[in-house]
This record gives sequence, structure tokens and C-alpha cells, in this order.
Amino acid sequence: MEAKTGDPLIRLGLLEEALNLARANSLWPLTFGLACCAIEMMAAGMARFDLDRFGAGVFRPSPRQADLMLVAGTISKKMAPAVVRLYEQMPAPKWVIAIGNCAISGGPFNYANQYAIVPGADLIIPVDVYIPGCPPRPEAIIEAILMLEEKITKRGRLRKFRDVKG
Amino acid sequence: MLKDKLKTALASLNLAQVSDGDYAKTGYHLEVTAGPGQMPAVAQAMLDQGCFLESLTAVDLRESFTLVYHFASFDELCRTVVHASLTKEAKGAQAPTISQVYPGADWYEREVYDLFGIKFAGHPNLKRLLLPEDADFHPLLKDFGAEPGND
Amino acid sequence: MIELGIEEKTYTLNLGPQHPSTHGVLRVVLEMDGEYITKAEPVIGYGHRGHEHMAENRNYQQFLPNMGRVDYLHALAYNQGYCMAVEKLLGLTVPERGEFIRVILSELNRISSHLVWIGAYLLDLGAFTPILYAFDDRENLLDLLDRITGSRLTYCFYRFGGVPRDLDEEFITGTRAFIKRLRSRFRDYESLVTKNVIFINRTRGVGLITRDQAVRYGLTGPTLRGSGIAYDIRKSEPYSAYPAFDFQIPIGDKGDVFDRYLVRILEMEQSLRIIEQALNQLPNGPIMADKVPKRLKPAAGEVYQAVESARGEFGCYIVSQGDLKPYRIKLRVPSFGNLSILPEVAVDTLVADLVAILGSVDVVIPEIDR
Repeated sequence: MEAKTGDPLIRLGLLEEALNLARANSLWPLTFGLACCAIEMMAAGMARFDLDRFGAGVFRPSPRQADLMLVAGTISKKMAPAVVRLYEQMPAPKWVIAIGNCAISGGPFNYANQYAIVPGADLIIPVDVYIPGCPPRPEAIIEAILMLEEKITKRGRLRKFRDVKG
Repeated sequence: MLKDKLKTALASLNLAQVSDGDYAKTGYHLEVTAGPGQMPAVAQAMLDQGCFLESLTAVDLRESFTLVYHFASFDELCRTVVHASLTKEAKGAQAPTISQVYPGADWYEREVYDLFGIKFAGHPNLKRLLLPEDADFHPLLKDFGAEPGND
Repeated sequence: MIELGIEEKTYTLNLGPQHPSTHGVLRVVLEMDGEYITKAEPVIGYGHRGHEHMAENRNYQQFLPNMGRVDYLHALAYNQGYCMAVEKLLGLTVPERGEFIRVILSELNRISSHLVWIGAYLLDLGAFTPILYAFDDRENLLDLLDRITGSRLTYCFYRFGGVPRDLDEEFITGTRAFIKRLRSRFRDYESLVTKNVIFINRTRGVGLITRDQAVRYGLTGPTLRGSGIAYDIRKSEPYSAYPAFDFQIPIGDKGDVFDRYLVRILEMEQSLRIIEQALNQLPNGPIMADKVPKRLKPAAGEVYQAVESARGEFGCYIVSQGDLKPYRIKLRVPSFGNLSILPEVAVDTLVADLVAILGSVDVVIPEIDR
């Protein structure tokens, strides 16, 4: 195992793996819909697509109680300070999923004379998973949650105990 | 007919033009040209006939601005457009507000100020509406340049 | 942020821009006297993406996808308004079958928008069950729209001169089945929500809007029709294929929040009637006008086209100077006028009532901010 910056100082071995498994399977998202992608995020939490079966269905309005920020929509320059503030208010460990083309790179609103938006959430906060689409289907949002779970637990799905790089 | 009542009401205000619009081509029944200073009186006349303010916007014609007011009525179909030409001045163009007649115009005038820089005299709260409060540009002006680094 | 006022006993409370009940990024700065609101000032612009500036930097076809993003819940009405405005400038006529298809899809979209509204509104008021029912109905509807348009939410389906793809048999049978299913679900909504005593207590007598206020603020849509004024562009200025259909405009009588809710429920039923009649009367023929130029250079002039979206009157004002790109496009959105009445209606209400009133106005913030 190589040491990376940002690793915890104390390694707890199996306990840490158990904690990661618990964190991955009970992500509490922050309700942070900015624009159109918010509706697909809501649909992903509803009866047909049901994020709750992955443990991620408890949307919290307050950042203090959330550990996953789903940036769904375009970040305007007026809203950017609020996004950063909300990210800083979330307690660690925390993750960010950028939903939709606007949160990845500005999306359809990114053109030469654009004055109003921040072209991409990763310019202001660190992003873990990117979901392309305009808007992405709820199935894509579920796929992103599963990818994030892999990233947190560093293991493949279905408990095959393969090591997942990155 | 609402159109005739409007024409009568507007005739007394000494406006530059009050004429029938070509509905099939433009969507207007009545086209009016007025000076910006006459707008409060025009707005009062429209309100007295029961019309509501649909939209208030501006167009930057490079040498001047045109303020465009759209009116309509709930009871009878009669779309009225009022064009008011505004000269560009070195210290910023100004026009009187109609928000004392139509409170709904409050936000429309703030938006025009935000996007064009046109000030409305007598407006109770002329602050920026859409852009951040500390922005120093007006984006819909025709000479608003490209911002590098946003590509 | 809570500050104590020095002269008076009011304090400032900030609602939003990140808040579950503001339907997007809306911020309302409240001055409170205890539990009662003395002043409510909405602060908008957190979703400003520069649509009107983009319009001047794009040609007419390139601007078409933007219309789906302005109001993403009833995107097809915005598609329709923009396409009709440009068709007026170009002098194009859409063939009859194209008009019927536009109406069918737009009315289905209106139903899906109202379903989202019911779900989200009742979630604001604290009820979790109706949103599950509403979104389930909406998923069935989106399956139908997805088949034809290819999108679930931000449609960009209409083209200048008609529609690009025709309906197929499976869509028509699926829509008929959906109409039957939704009609039976209305009974569920009635017993779950409309007759629910908690809902009635929270919404009856709250947020009254008078006719005079409606005229002075330029309200349109169900927000206006709840106050008893029967103004609907589909009836007062019929466009597209609407003159061929027989439907009613539901109105309320008191102008409170409950009336606005009821108007939307009844509007869904009327939309189902329109779709049924359209499917029965669907004519054969082409779906696109012939001889639509590839490089669109509309004639110089201006045009204003209004259509009825789920929130009210959407007006598309285009100034053309004969170029490939529009000179100015102004999007007159219904939520802009509808939200501007909030400072007046919210005075002397409780915060819980403010949430009920704000939800009943049915705003979509990206359309206000454009």
C-alpha cells in the first residue's frame, strides 16, 4: 500500500474497512438542486428508481447532517459563494457528485461571451464523481452512487473483494 | 371594442403614433409610439381601461435605446405595444418609472437597469436584480465585450 | 443569519438560497416580528445563466435547445412559443398533423408539470405520500414522451415548420391507456389530498389575491385563475390546433391557496380531454412544412407570440434585423410577474403560510432568472 496525501494518520485496519462500508451504504445526500437536473435527482429518489435501496435516500436539507453533496445544475457566479460555504459546512468525510453537464463544465451555457456562470463545479469544490448528461437519466445517478460506493470502499460491487484502483 | 376605447383614451395624450398593428405578422393589435416622459400617463390610461402590463424590456439600437412595453387585457383580446425611444447620454440614460401605476413594473425596471444600465427616475428600489450586486457591467449592451478565460 | 433590529423588535431571517421549499435557488429575506412576517423580499438571480445574451450570440436553430432549459418542467410550451414566433417571421405554416402532434405532446407535458408541482408542493407542506404517487404517474407519462421525443425533461423536439418525428401506434395506445389510468388516480388524489382536513386547514383562507392585485402585477396562469379570472391564452387567443377542441378553463372563487391547487387538478383533467379529442381527430398528412430554408434569415421586424404554459403566459418577443442571429429576444416568463406579488401577499403571515403561498404560485427559478 502506498501512502497518499490526505490519508488518515491512524490506520485502523479492518475497522476502517467496516467504517467505509457503513459510510458507503448510508450516504446522506444534501438537497441541493440548482436547475433542471434537480428534477431528475428527485425522480431518482422516488418510487421507480428508488435511491433508498442503496441507503442514499435520506435527503437532508441541512449541510451539517449530510455527507454527500449532489451538485445538480448550473452554478451561477452569484451562487458560487453559497456553494463553497455549504461545502465547508459539511462535516468530513464528505463527497461531491457533479450531476449534469453544467456541473461538469458549464454544459450548454459555456460559450465565449458567457458572463454569468462558473463553468464547472470542480473549479470551486473538489468533485468525486461526474455524471454527464443534460439531464442525465435517474439510472445514471444511481450508477454514480454505486461508483462512489466503490471509491469509498475501494472494493468492487457484489463483495467480490477485488481491489479497485483510484 | 377595447381597441377603440384605448385609441380614444390615448388620443388625448398627444402621442407620436397610435395605429393598428398587423396582427398576423407581429401579434399586436395596437402599436403606440410615445416619449419616455409620457409613459406614466400612458400607463395610467391603460390601467384605467383594465389592461395589465405583460412585459417591459429594452432594445439596444447602438445609437439609442428603445423601451418596449407590452399591455394586454384579461377580458378582451387586444395586445398593445408601446415603443419609447431613449437617447443614450454620457451619464447614463434615464426614463421615468411606471411602478407607481403598475407595481409589477418594479421588477421589470430593475431588470432593465441590470441588463442595460437604464435608470428609472422615481423607482423605489433601483438595485440590480439578476446579476450579483457588485457587478460593474451591463451584459445586454451591444458593446459588452467577451470575457477571456470562460471558454 | 439573525440580527436584532435596534429601533423595532423585528429580526431578519434569511430563507434560502439553498432550502428544500423554495423550488430552486430563491432567497427570501424576511423581517420577522416574532412568528409573523412584516416584510418579505425575494432576492433572485442565483440561477441567471444569460439566456437572452446567448440568443444574440447564436443563430435561430442554435438557440432552440435553450428553450427547453428556461422552464424545464413545461419545456414543450417554450419550444412552441419560440417556434411559432420564428415561423411568424419566416411566414411558415405548420401542417395540420404537425399542429395536432404539438398540442398532444404539449398537453402531456403540462400534466407532467402539474404532477411535479403537486408532489413538490405537498412535500413542502410536510406530506410525503402524494409525491410518490405523483412521480409514479409522471414516470408512466415520461415513458410515452420519451418514445417520441427522446428526452425526459428538457425537450427540444419542435422544429421550425413542424415536428421531426411522427407518432406511432404504440404511442397512441399507450396514451389512451395512460388517460384511463390517470383518471382513476384522480380519485386517489382527491381522498389523499383534496379532502384532507390538515391540507384544507393549511390552505383555505391563506394567501388571498384580489383581481386588482392581479391586474397591477400582471399575473397569469393558475395563480390568476384561482382568483376567478378566466384568462387562458388557449381560449382567449387560440393558437395552433386548440380551436378544434372543446375544453373548459377551471377557475376558483376565493383566490386563496386552496383554489389555486384545485385549479391545477382540474386543469389536468381538461388536458386529458384535449388529448383524447386530439387523438380521435388526428388528421393524416405531413408533419413538417415543406421548403423550410436551411439558413434561416427571417424578415426584419419584431414579433410577440404568447402561449399558455403550465405556469401562465409565456411570451416570446423577437426583434430581427434580417440576420442569421436574432437582434434581441426577450422571454416574458409567467413566474417573474407571479413571484413579484409575494412581498404584498406575505405580510402578516406565518412562515409556514409563506411556504404554502410560495408553493401555490408555482415558480420555477431558472425561468425567472433566465
